[in-house]
Amino acid sequence: MSSLSVARPDLLRSARARRFWRHGGLELALVTLLALALWTAISASIARPDRYLPSPVSVLDSSRDLLWKGILPNYLGQTLWRLVTGSLIGIALGIPFGILVGLNRTVSEMCYPILNFFQSISGIALLPIVMIWWGTTEKTVFVVVLYTCFFPIAFSVLTGVRSTPRIYVNALRTLGASRLRIVRDVLLPGAMPSIATGARLSIGYAWRAVIAGEMLAGRRGIGWMIFSAQQVDRTAQVVLGMALIGVLWILLDRYVLRPIESDTIQRWGLVQR
Amino acid sequence: MYDGEFAAVVGPSGCGKTTLLNILAGLLPYRHGTVQVDGVPVKGPGSDRGVVFQEHAILPWRTVARNIGHGLELQGVPRQERRRRVREFVELVGLAGFEERYPHELSGGMKQRVALARTLCANPVIMLMDEPFAAVDAQTRITLQEELNRIAIATRKTILLVTHNVDEAAFLGDRCFVFTRRPGRLKATVTIHIPRDRRIWKEVVADPAFTARRDEILELVRAEVRVE
Ligand SMILES: Nc1ncnc2c1ncn2[C@@H]1O[C@H](COP(=O)(O)OP(=O)(O)O)[C@@H](O)[C@H]1O
Ligand SMILES: [Mg+2]
Repeated sequence: MSSLSVARPDLLRSARARRFWRHGGLELALVTLLALALWTAISASIARPDRYLPSPVSVLDSSRDLLWKGILPNYLGQTLWRLVTGSLIGIALGIPFGILVGLNRTVSEMCYPILNFFQSISGIALLPIVMIWWGTTEKTVFVVVLYTCFFPIAFSVLTGVRSTPRIYVNALRTLGASRLRIVRDVLLPGAMPSIATGARLSIGYAWRAVIAGEMLAGRRGIGWMIFSAQQVDRTAQVVLGMALIGVLWILLDRYVLRPIESDTIQRWGLVQR
Repeated sequence: MYDGEFAAVVGPSGCGKTTLLNILAGLLPYRHGTVQVDGVPVKGPGSDRGVVFQEHAILPWRTVARNIGHGLELQGVPRQERRRRVREFVELVGLAGFEERYPHELSGGMKQRVALARTLCANPVIMLMDEPFAAVDAQTRITLQEELNRIAIATRKTILLVTHNVDEAAFLGDRCFVFTRRPGRLKATVTIHIPRDRRIWKEVVADPAFTARRDEILELVRAEVRVE
């Protein structure tokens, strides 16, 4: 069947994209070195670098101290734990909500502006009211992270369900499928690529929400570390926290989220054409 | 329609053929008249009426075999039995060897065969077909028409096919219902007395009984196509 094996430029492109994101290790190392060099140069050229922008070496120096005392691993663990629990539960709630709303056109048209409304209120903008309700507790941070995840994923799933071709639903109805079977056999698989993208997007938002939540609600973690270090003028520790946030996100995105997303999209994009 | 009959509804594009078929399938509500299967009025879609849609509506994330067995799966037929029936219909539509392929790996004609097999495998009382071969190339179309005829003989299904293609209607139909332009009404019924086993394109084009009927339908339809 030679007609079956036609070249697929679209697939080629996504395979190439995936290879780029997975195997760009050399480029990553190179750009990291460049950035560190630039940082060192700037730090060396200003007055009182320890006060305004400590060099990478002195930042590393301060982290050694924190590592020794076990504070850094402890903070890291807490921050990641908040991210994982809050976003997993947020996603686990957002997916069925998006599907349920997506089942009916009237309901989805009604919910669309509501979802859009809350999607625009970022986790940080929600923090003050949640702090009025629950104070500076663990619950406050958890709720804000969960909230941050819920709306983007629900939104993506809703869009995915609504854009699944009606003809598949009709075909299943004429085969005698129940509503539940239509959800399981058509709407869920049809929304799969949107779910993958929505999940990655919402975890990205959640990462910022965790940090903001720790800062404002004063819960111990990386966000808290930055905030408290600023108050006692430990600039090196502030910069260390910032660098950690960025580096952790790059690792999480690169080695966990992006592969999951591109695998799902590629697999389902492939079958959906 | 009679039991085991092959009826063709033919009319100009936009006259409401798809609408009619969707009403029969139970996917659209209707205001006047009734739709009955074996004397029972229909309420909504049901597995007694199988549908083959204009755009093959097979699920892209299921393999050929799982698409074809989907109806049986929904009916709760046990796996063993399902596998046996799927194999039977895979062979009927000539897709042996492609069971584990996904739709994106198939040509347009093959996808439509999968759709046909999926509908037949669920064993409906009547099969409704909406321009099933409109989207494939001309050579594939005549092959598929002959295959559909062979399948009609083999399964003795009651089939209602909707098309704007006069040749197709005359080739496949025992009776052809010619519709007027929108709003479509029944204009004429043309009966075609050619035995099923003689319906092969090479033979019918040389058969005056066929060409006369076909030209009759063609005239009826052409009179409905407005010149604008
Ligand atoms: N009896 C009718 N009266 C008014 N509008 C109709 C009627 N039948 C169909 N239509 C409309 O005409 C359009 C084309 O109908 P469709 O069933 O898709 O035609 P076909 O399948 O014959 O090309 C649709 O928008 C449909 O709503
Ligand atoms: Mg039509």
